[in-house]
Amino acid sequence: MSTPRFPIPQGTLDMLILQILALEPAHGYGIAQRLDQISRSVVQVNQGSLYPALHRLEQKEWLQAEWKQSETGRDAKFYSLTRAGRKQLAVEKESWAKLTGAVQLIFDEGGN
Amino acid sequence: MRPLRNWFRRGDLESGLDRELAYHLDRRISDLVNSGLSEAEARRQAKLELGGATQIREDVRDVWFTRWLRDLAYDLRFSARSFLRSPTFTATIVLSLALGIGATTAIYSLVDQVVLRALPVPEPERLVLIDWVGEQAAAGRGSTNLMSYPICLDLQQQERFFSGVLCRHETEVNLSTGGEAREVGAELVSGTYFAVLGVGPALGRLLNNEDAGAAGAHPVVVLSYDYWQAQLAGAPDVIGRKVLVNSQPMTVVGVAAATFRGIDVGKVPSLWIPVSMTSAAMPGWNPLTDRRTRWMQVLGRLRSGVSREQAQAGLQPWFKAMLEEDTRRADFPRITTNLRAKFLASTIGLTPAPQGHSSLRRRLSQPLWVLLAATALLLGLACLNVAGLFLARGSARGREITTRMALGASRARIGRQLLADSLVFALAGGALGILLAPFALKALISFLPNDGVANNLQSSIDGRVLLFTMTVSLVAGLLSGLGPALQAGRDSLILSLRSRGDAGIGGIRLRRMIITAQIAFTLVLVTGAALFVRTLTGLMDKGPGFSTSSLVSFGIQPRRSGYTSAEAGRLTRRLHDAIRNLPTTQSAALSGVALLEGGSWNNFMTIAARERITTDRVVHLNSVSTEYFSTLGIKLVAGRSFNQQDTSLIADRGVRTAVINQTMAKRYFGDRSPIGALLGFGREPGVKPDIEIVGVVADSSYRALREESDQAFFPILEGSDSGGHFYVRVRGTQEAAFQAIRAALHDTDPTLPIAYFRTLDEQVNRSLSTERMLATVSGGFGVLALLLSLVGLYGVMSFVVTQRTREIGVRLALGATRGAALWLVLRDAARMIAAGTVIALPCVWALGRLVESQLYGVTSTDAASVAAATAILVFTGLGAALIPAYRAASIDPTEALRFE
Repeated sequence: MSTPRFPIPQGTLDMLILQILALEPAHGYGIAQRLDQISRSVVQVNQGSLYPALHRLEQKEWLQAEWKQSETGRDAKFYSLTRAGRKQLAVEKESWAKLTGAVQLIFDEGGN
Repeated sequence: MRPLRNWFRRGDLESGLDRELAYHLDRRISDLVNSGLSEAEARRQAKLELGGATQIREDVRDVWFTRWLRDLAYDLRFSARSFLRSPTFTATIVLSLALGIGATTAIYSLVDQVVLRALPVPEPERLVLIDWVGEQAAAGRGSTNLMSYPICLDLQQQERFFSGVLCRHETEVNLSTGGEAREVGAELVSGTYFAVLGVGPALGRLLNNEDAGAAGAHPVVVLSYDYWQAQLAGAPDVIGRKVLVNSQPMTVVGVAAATFRGIDVGKVPSLWIPVSMTSAAMPGWNPLTDRRTRWMQVLGRLRSGVSREQAQAGLQPWFKAMLEEDTRRADFPRITTNLRAKFLASTIGLTPAPQGHSSLRRRLSQPLWVLLAATALLLGLACLNVAGLFLARGSARGREITTRMALGASRARIGRQLLADSLVFALAGGALGILLAPFALKALISFLPNDGVANNLQSSIDGRVLLFTMTVSLVAGLLSGLGPALQAGRDSLILSLRSRGDAGIGGIRLRRMIITAQIAFTLVLVTGAALFVRTLTGLMDKGPGFSTSSLVSFGIQPRRSGYTSAEAGRLTRRLHDAIRNLPTTQSAALSGVALLEGGSWNNFMTIAARERITTDRVVHLNSVSTEYFSTLGIKLVAGRSFNQQDTSLIADRGVRTAVINQTMAKRYFGDRSPIGALLGFGREPGVKPDIEIVGVVADSSYRALREESDQAFFPILEGSDSGGHFYVRVRGTQEAAFQAIRAALHDTDPTLPIAYFRTLDEQVNRSLSTERMLATVSGGFGVLALLLSLVGLYGVMSFVVTQRTREIGVRLALGATRGAALWLVLRDAARMIAAGTVIALPCVWALGRLVESQLYGVTSTDAASVAAATAILVFTGLGAALIPAYRAASIDPTEALRFE
């Protein structure tokens, strides 16, 4: 609670989810924990918005879901990246890089 | 589409989400407990972190179904629930819509089957009917669009335009496949028939050019799939079997594809016979090489890439050359120069024929469009009624709506809810309408005479019609909901919340407009009904010109059972004697052509009296036995009837005497007596008029009741009476007479099939089938329309009286009479009726032209019919308004004022 956190920018939650799932399939709680680690340090993620986002990405067929046994032995819904999702992640990363690069450029110019 | 798909598996989705969220919470709680929190504290914190479960669920549902689908679903559910709370209201609306939609569906289905539906063959849009436009100088046999077989063969050579040309003639034959011979529909076809249509066999092979080759050389037939299934139980060994066609053995070579039922929706053939076997199928008839006998319809399949216009233009040079060549042929008739010029000016015409060729379509398409227009009006009326009821309910629900608006609902949102209301109704009404439609369709089809050859009309509703109905229902729902939806929330919020529940006053103007429109629609329908009912009753009063009671008729065709002409003559005479001597018979007569069946033997005639003239239109001819006029009760106006001498044979002379009807006498002889004048068949210069007119009889119907035609009768000569149509005036009960006649027939030849057996009353009814259908259906629509708009009018007037109770009470208290109060309300109703009438009259006038050809004895603007319809509407309308008006007049001023 010591470091001030800023709310996650609109639309970046989807990208973060894709990024987390690119490493390995995970269930909602797992993703929430990962997000929590990130948000503890930098940004604030509302857990309530996680599930609508997951379902939205599933609707877009960037994620696929499967019920399987979790580490506690109980069935959980595991999400993993589809081929389209992987492609989407690449696209978002690239456009993010472009955007931040462009913003940085503007700031640099402004600084001069 | 995904939202819709999700909607149907929303149960799975919901339970999945529940499990997912439960898993999340439980994991979080156990993690928190592990980190040292108490169970309760952990649960509280976990929930807090996750946020409201309901909110998450809502958000996820938005993802699944998208916003609008969810709103729509909620609206629909809300509508359905609120309707179930007021069952009477709901039943009234659903029934109104179901009646309108059911009627529209039934009639559209008939229109679709008779007029619109293409043949079940590949690329039907490339099929065209090829027809001779102009004078053919040829004798005809069959229905319409006829040409000769040689011309069909010529057209088959026109490969530049057609990928194939077929021709066909429809007839009936006696078919025996083992048991008793039965009369069935048959098509005589060119060898190209199946190939051009693109129809394949279900079994064996179909007919080809070789089968249609040398006359009489190929006794083969193809059976229809339906006949094969029904009569031969689908026997797989049918190929190669011998069947008897008019007592001639022929070999079955194949069965046509199951979906194919010929090219005429009105007449379904049971078998196809190659044209080479014409004289077997139609004994004593051999027109194959005759260019001057027109008897076949010719259809072509356009070569792909060739348009109908191109083909039509491209065919003319060939056709002109053929006309020239025809006139030089040795067998070309000697005709007048005038007629010759007309012959040479003929052209060849192509019309689209994806639906094949059908005389039923020709006869029925206009009445059917008229009925479809009437149902559209009726459906419109039902929609207006529903809109009116919605508005009434809208005012009752005014509080609910204004409260919702006060809580922040937008007008659009409320309007959408009202629209959802009407959609729920439209769908319910549509579903009920679809259930009702097959019954209505069955009733409609039963109006059409359908003995003898079966037609291809089905009373089931197919996918195409279903689609139509769903569209119509949705449109009806939108139309009936639109007015009320736009009206929603028009009234000032504050005013209506402050008033005590009688909000929605603004709707009353819209309701008045709706009633006015309903009255206009109703007047149009009632006037139409009056016109069609007068047409039917007019025709029934007129009758066929002879007394039909105790008159029965039946037909025999012994030539179709293998009799030679001479044998058939002897059989017919023996039968005639036997029937004449039955105790149940008063008298019995014979005619060559059946009455009131729509067909006739006809020709132009040459008349020689003081000068030689030719008739300017065809004369309808019949050959009759000597007792014909007395048996039917057709009055002799001048001269004498036929006697034994007229029928006796004199070497190398045919008929020598004729009797004509009054219309013909008046047309060609005016006031002079036609007795002694001479007649000859045809109008060519070479015709020798040598048939003496010996009598004139009163007019009677021949082809149909409504026609007035020139008619000439000739005696049936001895030996040329090879079958025909018996007309028997019976005494005693008809059943006894039927039995006695059947016994006599059985004694004469037990195997001889009877073509038909019916009373002349039935025959008259059959010939009026179209008029009866129009009168009954439009009459029913008229009554329904009247009921709907009266209910609407009553409803609005009651509402007005309730609204104005206080005002009327004040008036009465200030000294207005009861009569004035009564008039106050009636005047309101009278204004709406008058406005509706004023709107309707020009519509009646305009629409009248469309139905003119269906009418008899009345014009479409018949003053009496319009006046009667208007009077009915005005009186019943004022009657409906009288009840609320009376209530207004009996308001007790003190009560009304205390109410305030």
